[in-house]
Amino acid sequence: MKMTMKTRRGFFIAACLIPGLILFFLFKVYPTIQIFHKSLYLWTGVGDKPKFIGLQNFVDMFHDDTFLLALRNTGFLMLVVPVLTLLIALINASLLTQTKLKEKGFYRTVFFFPSILSFVVVAILWSFIYHPTMGFVNAGLEMIGLGDWAMSWLGDQRTVLWALAVTLIWQAAGYYMVMYMAGIDSISPDLYEASGLDGATRVQQFFHITIPMLWEIIRVTIIFSINGVMTISFVIVSIMTAGGPDRHSEVVMTYLYSQAFTNSNFGYAMAIGVFIFIVSVSLALISNKLTERGSN
Amino acid sequence: MKHKKWLTTVASSVVAVSLLAGCGSNNNNSNNASPSASPSASASASAGGKQFENTELNVAVFQGGYGREYWDTIAEDFMKDYPGTKINITASPKIAELVRPKIVAGNPPDFMYIAGSDNLPIIDGLIKDKALTDLSDVFNSPSEEGGAPLKDRILPGVLESRSSSPYGDGKVFLAPYNYGVMGLWYNKTLFDTKGISVPKTWDEFLALTATAKDNGRELFTYQGLYPGYLEEMVVPSIYSVGGQEALDQYFNFDPEFWKSDTFKQVWGVLEKVATEDNALMKGTIALNHTQAQTAFMQGKAMFIPNGTWFEDEMKDAPREEGFQFGFLGAPAFTADKPAMAMTNVEQMVIPAKAKNPELAKEFLKYLYSDKSVKLNAEKSKAVLAVKGAPDIAKEFISESTYNVYKAVDEGIVTVNGAFKSVAKGSKYNPSDEIYKPISSIMNKQLTVAEYGDKLFKIYTNIQKELKENGAE
Repeated sequence: MKMTMKTRRGFFIAACLIPGLILFFLFKVYPTIQIFHKSLYLWTGVGDKPKFIGLQNFVDMFHDDTFLLALRNTGFLMLVVPVLTLLIALINASLLTQTKLKEKGFYRTVFFFPSILSFVVVAILWSFIYHPTMGFVNAGLEMIGLGDWAMSWLGDQRTVLWALAVTLIWQAAGYYMVMYMAGIDSISPDLYEASGLDGATRVQQFFHITIPMLWEIIRVTIIFSINGVMTISFVIVSIMTAGGPDRHSEVVMTYLYSQAFTNSNFGYAMAIGVFIFIVSVSLALISNKLTERGSN
Repeated sequence: MKHKKWLTTVASSVVAVSLLAGCGSNNNNSNNASPSASPSASASASAGGKQFENTELNVAVFQGGYGREYWDTIAEDFMKDYPGTKINITASPKIAELVRPKIVAGNPPDFMYIAGSDNLPIIDGLIKDKALTDLSDVFNSPSEEGGAPLKDRILPGVLESRSSSPYGDGKVFLAPYNYGVMGLWYNKTLFDTKGISVPKTWDEFLALTATAKDNGRELFTYQGLYPGYLEEMVVPSIYSVGGQEALDQYFNFDPEFWKSDTFKQVWGVLEKVATEDNALMKGTIALNHTQAQTAFMQGKAMFIPNGTWFEDEMKDAPREEGFQFGFLGAPAFTADKPAMAMTNVEQMVIPAKAKNPELAKEFLKYLYSDKSVKLNAEKSKAVLAVKGAPDIAKEFISESTYNVYKAVDEGIVTVNGAFKSVAKGSKYNPSDEIYKPISSIMNKQLTVAEYGDKLFKIYTNIQKELKENGAE
């Protein structure tokens, strides 16, 4: 009894896939299901008797002022940071590829540099840049005679989110710039040449050639960037402000963490996790839908 | 051919299984303090006529600034005095992360010493779950040296306080370990050379703004990102104005506290710090603890709140010339009242599901023996919450730290307390709710009256949750 070539191939492929699949299910799918499951319980995360309470955690969430404030702060960052990051990255990328700068390679490295620093290093670096007395920002303002404008950027509820947004943009812009540069390099130079002969300006070329040709890459980076804000903001906020002053820089991830690990409210924290999951997925779907190139 | 395929499948699943096994196995970096002893279940240890059926004890300890040397040594001594017993010590700075999975699995260590802000929440969880062993009998029984009950040796007030007796029913669930003293610090050299006298009352304290200016600094700074440090001024002040009664209101969530005169007086000091000229160091609110403490030591501010660990914590930090640590605790409100300070006691527990509570209790008692107090001072450079411990530790700790402990011995009244547990599942963390908005008071974006109204509502809600929780 000889097996056919096809069955044998099938067996071989299955044998190769199974270990990976098992690991995937065990470490990705199973924990995710657990999060959904535990979000329906009242559970301290220590004791072993979770109590089923249905959707109560989700109801509580929308009566929890701190959560709503954290949600608003996160929303602000998710709106401001991706837009500015991608815009800056796109402009830089196009400047660096389209102009005949001699230091092109140097700028490329310098702009990319923040992306290879760990988030913790970035956060510590910027908390010293914003340091109220010896920080670079305030010292700089004083040097150019604007000493009155100096303030404790991270200590004031009116400026803290913008200060964090600048850090997040600085950290990520170089990374997306490199992605866009690779994309621009693959656009045929003929297009630029031809349009140049027809009298198109650099700005027109940017809007009518660069952006449309990069569109697929831009779509992906929008989703990356939104989700990036969600995860990176946790580290940045924990180190730079600890959610302060008075929770005005609390983000959902830091709130989730504090509910789970300092308030022993695991079930509630999981419910917040589920909510973030749903928001992330729907944002990704929405942005995918909105940026889809239709019939035009 | 067929045979070979089969082998591939087996090989790949073996890889998978071994990976899984790697993850499932116990994260056990325990150090067997005794290399030889491998106790058999039948061998029973005996000492002082006591028999223990189970001779193995699993101990989990926090390995922080005090290190683990004390625990390794005391375990060896214990095994010598109780032949046949075996102690396994697991020590880590992140001890809560190591024990959490074991507790969830219903297999906790027999004895735990938990400290450090990253780890303490697990104790809070165990309290909420009522998952600790009642230790009252240990403290009611005679101490290791015999004679009076052990509780008479413990620092007064500690066992009665909520940090030992979390449910307020007089039963001890958390045994005290090292204690620290917290309050305001100043640069002693500056005060001595300039002839500034240490403020006895908050009025004198606030009057020093001008003196501070003459010396090129501001009056006060604190660990801005972590306003919780302000409790070291707030709690003693509450006691100073309203006595134990006000403190009970505060810690037991009586909403009326936020309408009381005590509240207005104590928070009035904070408001004055926020509003008066040259009082709060510029930028304080945005500084983390290290940044604020460094600024203080460099002479940018005259006072800062912190605890007895201060000197050790900042031993490598830059400082102004001649800087010397001085401790004053918290000033009173009237000159006839003594200065106060807050104490903080570290905790040791035996989980309710411990496999060997009997031996764990014996081990706990052993830790309060004279020999152990001395060993702890020598190895951890720390002071156990036992009467007379500062003098035993004197030769091992720095002079200024010893002076703080001595000041407590000689007149500074100490307060100690902790919030009652909120209802299980409550979203409120009392300490966060109370101290975090103080940043806004300091920023002059929130008045003390608005703040009081807000806290009144929060305390009312916490009470409501507790009532509903109790009704279930």
